[in-house]
Amino acid sequence: MSDPLLRVDDLQVQFFTEDGVVRAVDGISFDVHEGELVGLVGESGAGKSVAVSAIMRLIESPGKIVGGRIEFDGETLVEVETGPDGDPYRTEATMPDGELRERIRGREIAIIFQDPMESLNPVFTVGGQLREFIELNRDFSEREAREEAVSMLREVGIPEPEARYGDYPHQFSGGMRQRVLIAMALACEPSLIIADEPTTALDVTVEAQILDLVEDLQDRYGTSFVWVTHDMGVVAEICDRVNVMYLGEIVEQAPVDDLFYETKHPYTAALLDSVPRPDQTVEELNPIKGVMPEAIDPPSGCRFHTRCPEAREACTTTNPDCREVGFGDPPHRAACIKHDAFDAAYSGSPPLDAAAQQGFDVSLSGGETDD
Amino acid sequence: MATTHSDSETLGGESVEDFDESEQSVEARVGWRYTLSQVREDPTAFGGFLVIVAAAVVAVVTTIDAVVFEFLAQYQVFAQFGVEKYWLAKTVWMSPVQESADTTALLPPVGIENAYGQGTWAHPLGTDDRGRDILLRLIYGTRIAIMVGVLATAIGLVGGMVVGAVSGYYGGWVDDVLMRLAETLYAIPFLVLVLAFIAAFGRSITFAMIGVGVASIPKFARLIRSRVVSVREDEYVEAAKAAGVRDRNIILRHVIPNSFAPVLVQATLQVGTAIIIIAGLSFLGFGIQPPTPSWGQMLSVSRDHMIADPWFSIWPGLCILVTVVAFNMFGDGLRDALDPRLDN
Repeated sequence: MSDPLLRVDDLQVQFFTEDGVVRAVDGISFDVHEGELVGLVGESGAGKSVAVSAIMRLIESPGKIVGGRIEFDGETLVEVETGPDGDPYRTEATMPDGELRERIRGREIAIIFQDPMESLNPVFTVGGQLREFIELNRDFSEREAREEAVSMLREVGIPEPEARYGDYPHQFSGGMRQRVLIAMALACEPSLIIADEPTTALDVTVEAQILDLVEDLQDRYGTSFVWVTHDMGVVAEICDRVNVMYLGEIVEQAPVDDLFYETKHPYTAALLDSVPRPDQTVEELNPIKGVMPEAIDPPSGCRFHTRCPEAREACTTTNPDCREVGFGDPPHRAACIKHDAFDAAYSGSPPLDAAAQQGFDVSLSGGETDD
Repeated sequence: MATTHSDSETLGGESVEDFDESEQSVEARVGWRYTLSQVREDPTAFGGFLVIVAAAVVAVVTTIDAVVFEFLAQYQVFAQFGVEKYWLAKTVWMSPVQESADTTALLPPVGIENAYGQGTWAHPLGTDDRGRDILLRLIYGTRIAIMVGVLATAIGLVGGMVVGAVSGYYGGWVDDVLMRLAETLYAIPFLVLVLAFIAAFGRSITFAMIGVGVASIPKFARLIRSRVVSVREDEYVEAAKAAGVRDRNIILRHVIPNSFAPVLVQATLQVGTAIIIIAGLSFLGFGIQPPTPSWGQMLSVSRDHMIADPWFSIWPGLCILVTVVAFNMFGDGLRDALDPRLDN
């Protein structure tokens, strides 16, 4: 396979709060190839949004990228290494701030935010904002930019774009505003668009329209997408490949069909179980038990073992990396030691629930961790 | 929901014009036209607005008469037509800075009699201690009050906006340094600060004005910072950052416009305060210098005649009062119109 458009390698983002260090993103790696739509799925607080913000280096204090490397189109957007004194520092390969702003943000990578109600400046007209972005990123004159803005509005399905050009954001409905944001992202013809839960705030009929629109536009422009969502339905609808995140780590990485039909990680399975499926009739949904632990104090061993129905004793001590567990191209990776690819004593280890019933002291063995 | 737009084009069943009316009434409070229509519905605010407009018109006309004509009189082309300082006033009536040939000093207003004689319609509000017409001098004093009040506020506003926006947007040590400086200025009494400024740079209306402007920077800076701190977290700011907009443009185009409403209200009220301060400085002799007419300096001169001829001090005092109250009423109305939480 050719070189990926975007390569995220062992990215670590931490937030230095008063209560301690929050490891929001803890060593994730994924690729996005040209023309691909890659999903990033997980519960709230899994670190999805932080991960995509880090791609554009939009993490703000007290947050910091403390490790890893992000490469875009052969250029290093950020590379952080740990110095001899233990402090992370940006290597010389890291792109300077000014260059990143001028060449990458908006021009090469655009981002669509979650809330269409909040992502447009209320004091300027929609057309004016769109025009400003185009002028800024494509070196157009004001008139050319205006024409381009109107044609972009038409492209994303805003009726009477000429008339709507001078309207303020509050005069648009949620779905219409999201279309405007998509127009804004597409207007600068970026090679990659990061969509951070763009349809979460919309109702399902509008969501479906937006997804259709995105697929349609993607076919036409060949833009790559990173699509952040917590909705498995959306994933099935539009993604080519999927990364499932749990507590700052990627637990499963697979082409979309494999993820749904040959689920390899218990967390993904639990996620799929907790949403209604048209092909199965169930009495009651089966949500994942408990809540996600705090990223400030993650559980030892596998981070999902506290909620995992298949957890065994060995899971409390080993935190598995994401390894290839299936055949095929693109590869199917999962971070669960129940698979043969991991040389861990999973099958010999007693199940956690059973261990508790038999009176074993779980905490004793949980004391020694490799974390 | 509005049904009048039912003929408008729809897409996928979604009506384009289909936005919530109540939501609009809250969020539409950003347009000038809307704000002014709100102010018009408020009689006190609208009254204040009318007084301000009237004073501004008077100020513009008298500025042309006093400053522009003085400038033009230097050139032969205009001078041969008789253009000179106070041309308009002299043509219509009399000079505001020179004694009229046929009057006595301290003549009372119409209908009142005092030791110097009977008030006449030639001088409806009476004459001052040098026989100059008080009404005319009040009219020409408006120029100083409005101009100085507005300019001093503008200096404070622009300075405060820069300091506050930078401080709030960047945070961290920049914020700490700028805000501690602002608080240091804030700790010194306003008038003392202005007097110190005049003492350092010279006794003139220009420095008095700049002094008042500089002294009001902390007030604006703190106000705008408090707004910027919340606005900078808004998603459109992050969206702009993600689109590669420079910090300077983010501050100018996204942060400041969205933080501006309370500052506008404060500025309107501040004009009133600045007028009082400048009048006070003129009263103390630090502001405008004679013979240029100004309300504060007229008040100052009238001190010696306050018991015998109280009208001499009443008129300029009344002018200051009316103007300042007008700015305050307008500012209050503006606050009501711009505050989205007050639904009137």
